[in-house]
Amino acid sequence: MPGIDECLLEAMVLPGARGAAVVDWTSGLALGTVGESPAGDHEASAAETAELARMAAEQPSFGEGGPDDGPGVEDVIVSARNGFHLLRFVETGIDSTVFLYLWLDPEEGNLALARLRLRALAERLVLT
Amino acid sequence: MTTRTDGGTTTDGMPSLRRLAADRATGVLYSDVGAVYLTDGEVVHAESSAAPGLDELLARGGRLAADCWQQAVRDGGARGGIARRLVDSGRLSRGELEICHLFALFDAAFFVLDASPGAVRFRAGAGHWLGPIRAVPAGAVEREVRRRRRLLDRLWPHPAVDTSPVRRLPEPSTGPGRGRVPRRQRDVLELADGTRTPYAIARQLGRPAFHTLVDVRRLAAAGRVATPPPATPPPRVPPAAPASAGAAVPSPAVPSPAGLSPRRSTEKNPVRLHAVVTDPDVELLRRLRDALEEKL
Repeated sequence: MPGIDECLLEAMVLPGARGAAVVDWTSGLALGTVGESPAGDHEASAAETAELARMAAEQPSFGEGGPDDGPGVEDVIVSARNGFHLLRFVETGIDSTVFLYLWLDPEEGNLALARLRLRALAERLVLT
Repeated sequence: MTTRTDGGTTTDGMPSLRRLAADRATGVLYSDVGAVYLTDGEVVHAESSAAPGLDELLARGGRLAADCWQQAVRDGGARGGIARRLVDSGRLSRGELEICHLFALFDAAFFVLDASPGAVRFRAGAGHWLGPIRAVPAGAVEREVRRRRRLLDRLWPHPAVDTSPVRRLPEPSTGPGRGRVPRRQRDVLELADGTRTPYAIARQLGRPAFHTLVDVRRLAAAGRVATPPPATPPPRVPPAAPASAGAAVPSPAVPSPAGLSPRRSTEKNPVRLHAVVTDPDVELLRRLRDALEEKL
């Protein structure tokens, strides 16, 4: 069973992966980081992506407050000039607000593959 | 056990942490509200009477039954191997343990380093019975504490809401507070009965105290909970005798007078933070007793 670092290193094996992080979206804390950061500073990037994650997670249109009480959002994907930014929400048994973040190169990255891989990593990070 | 104090009398834990990190020190930096544990200059754990502990985050979140925690404490606690025991038991993943541990570490470090009302002191050589889980560079802890302070101030610049009982307000008919409250904030709002502090709400929900402060400040900014006047929480209390540090340092085994910080009033057993540095077995027994009492 992987810890945070093993999980991030596995994400970096993906083609075009430039950087990855495990982030808490309530506080904006970067729990672990690897590789490059689009802002040049992992902690600043974590705070920015956390804000986006929170906005998405709290919208009823995206399933917040649904019958199962879990987070409705599974992924947030931002396509930008500097690459793809993938956020994968992690469902933990503890009361947490954690997501996996992956920054992909726009030329080399494979968005579909990365999304599937990130989902699998998020599930292995915790017991399901 | 070798003990010493570094004579630090600062009211701010940051300079002490920086100096200890530069010296690659091993030991515990503690104040009246908690303790930060260092190994070779890196932060390996933190505890605070203002923040729920790792066991509470794991248990209250429903992840780990209390008996499983106690079993791990019995099997591995005295030898500092509790982290490995918890994961080996198959009831908790390595990832979850690390996430929860970092939540608890940064949560407690925030209160010790940002809000300690008195002097911080250092005791060299003391370890923590939890054993190694994940070490964090002291610089990262310091940056995060400062970022958290800025975040709270940006959300709603009224620190009084952090320590006062949280009182729900009727939904306003107009303005930003109109409309639905996100689920996690709603959990907090439902417990805002005018007597529970954010810390009490955090414990009840099994969430980090800082996360609850964020929610309370957001709710206050939206006009959903009351913002008490700034006079309510006492300002930072200066150390009793800043000029004579040696005399002012209380014995770690004796709790200093209550009431220095409003956060301490909700803590059942403030002494437990410091007992751990002198005798881990006593601390184990104490925690077991607390856990058993809570189950009754």
